Amino acid sequence: MPVRGETVLHRHNCKKLKSRLMGFSTLDSLRRILSAFDASHRERALALTAVEMEELENIFTLLLLGSFVGFPSPPSFLAIELLPFMEKELAVLNKRAKDSGDMLAEMCGTLGID
Amino acid sequence: MTALITIIGFLLYLILYFVYGKKIERDVVMASDDNEAPSKRLYDGVDYIAARKEVLFGHHFASIAGAAPIIGPAIAICWGWLPGLLWVWFGNIFIGAVHDYLALMASVRYDGKSIQFVASDIMGKRTGVAFYWIVFFLLILVVAAFSAVIAGLYVGPDGGAIGATYVFKIIAALILGVLLYRVKMNFYVATILGIIMLFIALALGPVFPITLSKITWMWIFFFYIIIAAAIPVNVLLQPRDYLNSFLLYFGLILGFVAAVFAFRGFEVPIASTFSPILLGGKPTPFWPAIPLVIACGSLSGFHSLVASGTTSKQLEKETDALAIGYGAMFMEGFLSTIVIVSIAGFGYTALKNLGVTEAVLNPGNWGAAFTKASASVKMGGANLFVQSYSDMVGSTWLSFIPVKYVKVLAGMWVASFAMTTLDTTNRLARYCISEMALPLKESATGAYNFLTNRWIASIIPAAIGIYLGASGNFLILWGSFGAANQLIAAIALMTGAGFVAKKLKSKFASVAVYPAWLLWITVTCGIAWFIVVVQPGEIAAKPVPGWTVMIISLVLLILNFVFIYDFVKSKAYKVD
Repeated sequence: MPVRGETVLHRHNCKKLKSRLMGFSTLDSLRRILSAFDASHRERALALTAVEMEELENIFTLLLLGSFVGFPSPPSFLAIELLPFMEKELAVLNKRAKDSGDMLAEMCGTLGID
Repeated sequence: MTALITIIGFLLYLILYFVYGKKIERDVVMASDDNEAPSKRLYDGVDYIAARKEVLFGHHFASIAGAAPIIGPAIAICWGWLPGLLWVWFGNIFIGAVHDYLALMASVRYDGKSIQFVASDIMGKRTGVAFYWIVFFLLILVVAAFSAVIAGLYVGPDGGAIGATYVFKIIAALILGVLLYRVKMNFYVATILGIIMLFIALALGPVFPITLSKITWMWIFFFYIIIAAAIPVNVLLQPRDYLNSFLLYFGLILGFVAAVFAFRGFEVPIASTFSPILLGGKPTPFWPAIPLVIACGSLSGFHSLVASGTTSKQLEKETDALAIGYGAMFMEGFLSTIVIVSIAGFGYTALKNLGVTEAVLNPGNWGAAFTKASASVKMGGANLFVQSYSDMVGSTWLSFIPVKYVKVLAGMWVASFAMTTLDTTNRLARYCISEMALPLKESATGAYNFLTNRWIASIIPAAIGIYLGASGNFLILWGSFGAANQLIAAIALMTGAGFVAKKLKSKFASVAVYPAWLLWITVTCGIAWFIVVVQPGEIAAKPVPGWTVMIISLVLLILNFVFIYDFVKSKAYKVD
């Protein structure tokens, strides 16, 4: 015979299972589908905007931090001043420079094809 | 019959997803949430960032879905409805979806690197370089085949209305872009306005049709794809894609409901002959030609690039990959199923409604009759689909929607996705040229600078592609596009098989290795057959486009053997 704690747990599990099964036929499912639909649209739109933004970021980072990779860059005092705030941008710039020969798939994914 | 096949298709996909797909996930790839996905492990908040499964599914599906899963099955109806349907279903389940899923998972385990990178690692650097060449030629053929599809649609029956609607939709997309990014209007309000503008475009198209010649449309496409590929994405490409996605889902839902409620027997015979007259007017054997005709509905090489490009970097956990990589491909296969059902049920009537006589449209000899009938009314696969789809919707309780608008909707569905692909290809081709020209950077700096110039790199693929589209034979262009696409698929699947066998050392690696071999042999035989049997006739009829396609096909065949040499040499198929 189950002890009281086990019975409560069993009931809780049954309730959870029931609510999961019921979930398929309730408005909650519809809400989730619509929210995913909305989010996937936004995600796709965001990805395309990001392409433009990345280019601007790349130019901005090169302008400010180009001196570190050999570009003659007059405002190096600015670079030094901004360096502590640009840690993430530097890391991203490095990663992108490393992957610049392997961008075909990423472009296909962002722009979509077929 | 329409309802039966639609429901059987749906159930088949559902059951095999849980039976076969789950088996691959569990035993072949051994996906586990204990392995942290790149989105978490390499999180940078920019490229590597986790997305919800449903969201990523939507994004992935929108990226892989296009016009090809509609046009290919529409052409393959020449063999009767069953052979094409079987290739869509089983090619999809055992090859195409496996290909997409393995490309995604290989990329996930390779820190989100592309399938091209994985191929270089498993089979050698040469395979990675060959990728650029194959993709570049494929992109030229995509421009050629898809521009011919759209031009064929715009000069075909109801083409004036479809062309005008597309022009109005471009205007709607430009306005939506201004509303979203200049006026900074609330997202939901702008969306509602965008949808209203889309409906206005659909309503105005049939009222103000644009009637132009094929050559004029081709010139318009030439300038359009160069300009569209050069301007910022948020001005046109993004709002247009956003409007397109509503067309896709609306068309898919309308088609599904109509297919279920049509309750109609099939007019098209279950099978015609093994070798009906099709590509280049030659008897076209089902094997090995079928993958050249049906590419994306069954399997597509582009999907491996999409899966390993952005999807793998945004996957939240490994167990999400099956629904996205495997499931999205099933969704595309289901789209092709609806296309086949609509044409099988209504294609014969559609051709008759367009003025094809009974004498030409001999049901006892469907294979020859179909090609002849299509040619006599200048109807490619896309036109046939538009007519059949609208007849199917009109035969159900959905008939309250005027037929002319359903036709425009179906035409826009095809044209929009074909056009999206056109300007995407130009951006990709530009990148390929810059990578392929790299060896010239030191030795011939002038040539390198010339080739990689933004405008020159745009004009080269657009000019060759549009020229071929304008002057070549559509079915030959479609076949060669299919060949190049399937070649990429073969390489990606073999890379996936190599990843499973060599890296994961899975004892069930044969699930990937056997389909990979089957695909490679089929594609190789298909290209060889195409070169030997089909191309000479085209060269005799139209020497310049004929030779251009011939040279591309020969290069592809050579690269194909280079690649298989690397595959065998690296013993990528063997579990150590």
